[in-house]
Amino acid sequence: MANRKKVVFMQLSSCWGCHQSLLDLHEKLLDVIPLLDIQYWVAAVDFKLDHLEKLPNGSIDAAFIEGLCRTEEDVHLLKLCREKAKALVSLGTCSTYGGAPSIANLYPKRELLERKYLKAETAANRNTIPSENVPEIADYVPQNNQIVKFDAYLPGCPPTSGEIANAVLALLSGKPIEHSNKTICDECKRKKEEKNIKVFKRDFEGRPDTEKCLLDQGYLCMGPGTRAGCGAQCPAANNPCQGCSGPPEGVTDQGARLVGAFGGIADMESPKMLKSFPDPAGQLYKFTYASSPLSKLRRVKKNEK
Amino acid sequence: MKSKSAPPKSEKTGLPKSENETEIKIDPVTRLEGHGTITIKLDKGKVSSVQFNVNSARFFEKFLEGRLAEDARIIAPRICGICPEPHHLASVKAVEDAWQINPPEPAKKLRELLLLAKQISSHALHIYVLAAPDFLLGPFAPAEVRNVVTVINKLPDAGKKAIELMKHGQELCAVVGGKSVHPVTAIPGGMTKTLTEEQRDEWIKRMDRAMELVDFTAELLLKIVQDYWDVVTKIGVIETYYIGLAKNGEHNFYDGNIRVMSPSGKIEAEVPARKYMDVAGEQILPHSYATHIFYKPAGYPDGIWRGGPLARINVVDKMSTSKGNEALKAFRDKVGRPCHATFAYHWARVIELIDAVGKARKLLEDPDIVSKDYKLETVEPREGVGVGAVEAPRGTLIHNYWTDRQGIITKANLIVATNQNIGAIEKSLNLIAKQVIEDKVYEKVKLPKPMITL
Repeated sequence: MANRKKVVFMQLSSCWGCHQSLLDLHEKLLDVIPLLDIQYWVAAVDFKLDHLEKLPNGSIDAAFIEGLCRTEEDVHLLKLCREKAKALVSLGTCSTYGGAPSIANLYPKRELLERKYLKAETAANRNTIPSENVPEIADYVPQNNQIVKFDAYLPGCPPTSGEIANAVLALLSGKPIEHSNKTICDECKRKKEEKNIKVFKRDFEGRPDTEKCLLDQGYLCMGPGTRAGCGAQCPAANNPCQGCSGPPEGVTDQGARLVGAFGGIADMESPKMLKSFPDPAGQLYKFTYASSPLSKLRRVKKNEK
Repeated sequence: MKSKSAPPKSEKTGLPKSENETEIKIDPVTRLEGHGTITIKLDKGKVSSVQFNVNSARFFEKFLEGRLAEDARIIAPRICGICPEPHHLASVKAVEDAWQINPPEPAKKLRELLLLAKQISSHALHIYVLAAPDFLLGPFAPAEVRNVVTVINKLPDAGKKAIELMKHGQELCAVVGGKSVHPVTAIPGGMTKTLTEEQRDEWIKRMDRAMELVDFTAELLLKIVQDYWDVVTKIGVIETYYIGLAKNGEHNFYDGNIRVMSPSGKIEAEVPARKYMDVAGEQILPHSYATHIFYKPAGYPDGIWRGGPLARINVVDKMSTSKGNEALKAFRDKVGRPCHATFAYHWARVIELIDAVGKARKLLEDPDIVSKDYKLETVEPREGVGVGAVEAPRGTLIHNYWTDRQGIITKANLIVATNQNIGAIEKSLNLIAKQVIEDKVYEKVKLPKPMITL
């Protein structure tokens, strides 16, 4: 078909889950695939990097970026996609906010490498840190949009296949991707009551009621600080929202939004409340650490040194 | 395959090392999940070295430190989006082992069902999306068409069946795990939910349909194996050790001892997961961020082993369903035990697919699968060390956590499934590079007329 749109599905350091979610369109793939002229997709088609590098700048209609910049190669691939694509789309939470792997920013690079290659209990030769024919590991994980400008964002870990299909189809027809400023709570079907929490529970404690709001039951559900879109899948599975889609539209700091929300419903003194957060970075920024002011502040300090 | 060819440059001078030396880089390796390149060095036309360069690492082993132990089941699955369910479950099992918790039997059965659902979708994906294009279009088809899109266009019946089979697997993952990618329902002490009776009834029917699709897949794949018999038996055949879980000798994805088989077919070791350090070592190579895991007592590189379908089929005495056992018998009658043929991985994968659908159906018929006894009421964190091992689609996966009294992870060691195979992948690439570049084996083996012609 002559009017197929040229697209690139790029994987930076990541898990491939966003691409699995795309495949989870199942039979609807048969409607979407014929619209696409896939020019690069490592996991599914055989074009090599030199093919992409030789394409004229701006010749790709849309490039979808999964993953974060953990290595120099990731940075190269991200910049390459920016050059080649008219529209650059951030696919998933890693590309948009750093994702879970950006929690690594809590540690200096040296400690990351040492733990994995020099100090792992199972490491047989504790004398080698890989450096030959592999790209260098970056000192820290930035947010991708600190490196290049994006035209659209589709966070989610992963975004649902429906969200991905809507975004692909919108882009192909030149329409903007629609975003909602609603939260998971807005789409959660659990019964909510007046909140007056005396004690926060850990996720493994007790057996939550299957109908009532998890937050009302004292579980640290991240729904109030998390963007809607997934259909509140985790609360529907009787598991607190983990915050994997990042903050709602218009909010930059997911952790601060959550602290505000939890503070507003907790009927307890602040020392007691603080005890509920032995790991604030991991609990409140589980998927958005690279985008957090905390991560950026630490980096500024490091640069000043 | 496309490759760029340039003489290697001396690191110091930037000048070519010698006129006789050339380098072939395959960048990146395609139809694989992850980041890999292959670097082949040639000296006067002879292969002098082959490297499999895995180009990224995200350091989960480090940043799991300091996290709440129950958050590891959410964070660790992000290691792999094709196989998050095994990470989710290995993580929860490691925490339960550290805290000395034994979840209710129905929870274990739900977890096993979740793992089987993932094997069904991942194996179908591996067969149809990652592997089949090479065989259906033949190894000389142009790069731009050698993919699943062409398979769907040219063999629409097979394409539709592939999509439907993956759908059954992924949707069962979502029903049991809460999400189709990155599950959330396993938790220290059990599961957050069970199945309803309506879901159970629907999924028994859907597993019957899945078995029809698997029968079709098995027939297609066995034809491919037969057509490419010369390739299967002559290219990339390497002798290695094998690792896989076995429960009382039987194939099991969720539970069992770690079994190691020697290249001669002897069961070299059988240890509980907690003793994994007795058998598993990691060699760190300068040219790969992924480590090479091997059988420690044999040393490196002699102890290089493989995990995944072929390894499991080699190490277990039997499958868990009668249909699975029939398929295993046909395999062993033809290729023996152990089988060292790398291309036989695809056949082994089909045997597991047959067994997984049968086992999933059996579990769905078990009354426990809708039991309300799916989680312990009381779960107490404690200081401890725990190991959780499960089978991921591509090999044995091991999570090892140290927790403090509050239930916070103080240290983590991970043996990731794909890394069980990196040493052996490089070993087979060394052989295949010689076979292809030096011996031009592709002119000597019998190749069938491709099923798809353009």
